[in-house]
Amino acid sequence: MTAFRAAFGFQIAYMRRNRDQLMPLFASPLYTVIFLAITRAAGRDDLSSYAVLAPALIALWAVSLMSAGEVIDSERYEGTLEAVVATPASLGVVMFGRVLAVVVIGCLAFFESWLTAALLFGVVVPIPQPGWFLATLAITVLAMAGTATIMASVFVLARSARTFQNVLSYPVYVLGGVIVPVSLLPAWVQPISRVVFLSWSADLFRDSLGAAPVEAPVGRLGMVLLLGAIGFAVGGWMLRRILARVRETGTLAYA
Amino acid sequence: MSAITDRLPPPLRIARHAVAAGIADFSTMFTWRTWTTAWLGRMVLQVVFFALIGLLVGDAGTVRFLVIGNAVMLAAVESMFAVASTTWERRAGTLPLLVASPTSPLLVFASRSVFWLATGFVSSSVSLFVGAAVFGIALPFPRALLVPPMILVVGTSTYLFASFLGALILRAMEFRNVVGNVVHLAMMAICGVMVPTDVWPSGVQAIAALLPVTHGLGAIRHLLDGGGAGPILRGLALELTVGVAWYVLAMLSIQRLVDRGRSDGTIEYAD
Repeated sequence: MTAFRAAFGFQIAYMRRNRDQLMPLFASPLYTVIFLAITRAAGRDDLSSYAVLAPALIALWAVSLMSAGEVIDSERYEGTLEAVVATPASLGVVMFGRVLAVVVIGCLAFFESWLTAALLFGVVVPIPQPGWFLATLAITVLAMAGTATIMASVFVLARSARTFQNVLSYPVYVLGGVIVPVSLLPAWVQPISRVVFLSWSADLFRDSLGAAPVEAPVGRLGMVLLLGAIGFAVGGWMLRRILARVRETGTLAYA
Repeated sequence: MSAITDRLPPPLRIARHAVAAGIADFSTMFTWRTWTTAWLGRMVLQVVFFALIGLLVGDAGTVRFLVIGNAVMLAAVESMFAVASTTWERRAGTLPLLVASPTSPLLVFASRSVFWLATGFVSSSVSLFVGAAVFGIALPFPRALLVPPMILVVGTSTYLFASFLGALILRAMEFRNVVGNVVHLAMMAICGVMVPTDVWPSGVQAIAALLPVTHGLGAIRHLLDGGGAGPILRGLALELTVGVAWYVLAMLSIQRLVDRGRSDGTIEYAD
């Protein structure tokens, strides 16, 4: 627990000093402006909740991709991975603490997009079902952290982590249905979308912003949790494999 | 090849070497295979993402507006990556050598990111025709074949603007990615990419008129809507004028950076 707390606190301090890491939070208000401008110009004020929610989901994904994904890679770059691995604390726990801190910071984007909509457009999006909204948020944060652990491992092996991060943006926004529900995508795309946990989260968030009762919320939250757990399992397995390999080849600290 | 290069005038020779350095940077990020599959696919999906919002709002005109606007914007998006890549030169520690040389450092800074202009041109052109095909948008041929050269004008103008931002960011390099991204998103919002510029208050419209994309994209829309040559050429001329004006400011900014660095010793070998 001490290692987890230390890792969590370290990541918060690291991101405060590396403003580049907060880029998704700078972008979030602008996405809100873009989406609201489109829906309002088309006379579809009824889609305001979609337009306000989407920037927060984009920021949450982007900050995970950018900061959480680089957790291991940055340790290698700084030449500190060797020391981190040598300590008695589990690397998995340290990584989880850092990744979770990133995702929690990413949640600030929800506040930003709601505030931008209210201040610039006078649009206040109510949350009629706050219980399901908060439950979806909590489960999404965990699933995001799980997915980020896969990325943290993949980026160590990638030719350029930043390129990977750029490539994984809009394709995931489409498949994750962050603004356009998966049900509007072509039929052949929908099964692929359903493997992306964000598609379940986005639908749940949107439903919790509507007046109608959320349908089958427990099962859908379970799907988000399941996909997140798969992320943790796959990410943890990859991390163990990578560490074993770099220990064998003596390339743990190449910085 | 080197004999030919040696006979080039010094500025062109230097620019050629800077372009080669940029291409070397590019090759550390992509192979041709990863660029044509992963990257180009991602760029096309950016257009698809925004065009889908047109389907969501249920208006065919909005879909067409978003496909054209976002496809053209891709040229600007990639040109804006030059804001960050301009700092790669200073981070490599070459600034003192550039300042000591008889040529302006801006020539190197502005040349070494020019690969973004080329990749942006391809991404944008491909995305326009693919996006139009995917969403069933009829483009008027052969007139539509004039769009790629116009995209190049938009990309160039934005690249010159990015050179100015890059010159500013050399003073605060930790913001290199934030500035490029925030500014290009602001351009997407107000330069007629997502919604017509006239939906914004007059003050915002005035800012948009000083930015790249606005006039060039307007000219492209005019062309695709069957408009006459006069407004199209005027739009392209304005687009280039905006870019050149920003480049003049970039030159002044770099000169100031060099002058100040010489006087206070802040020209370092690496950050």
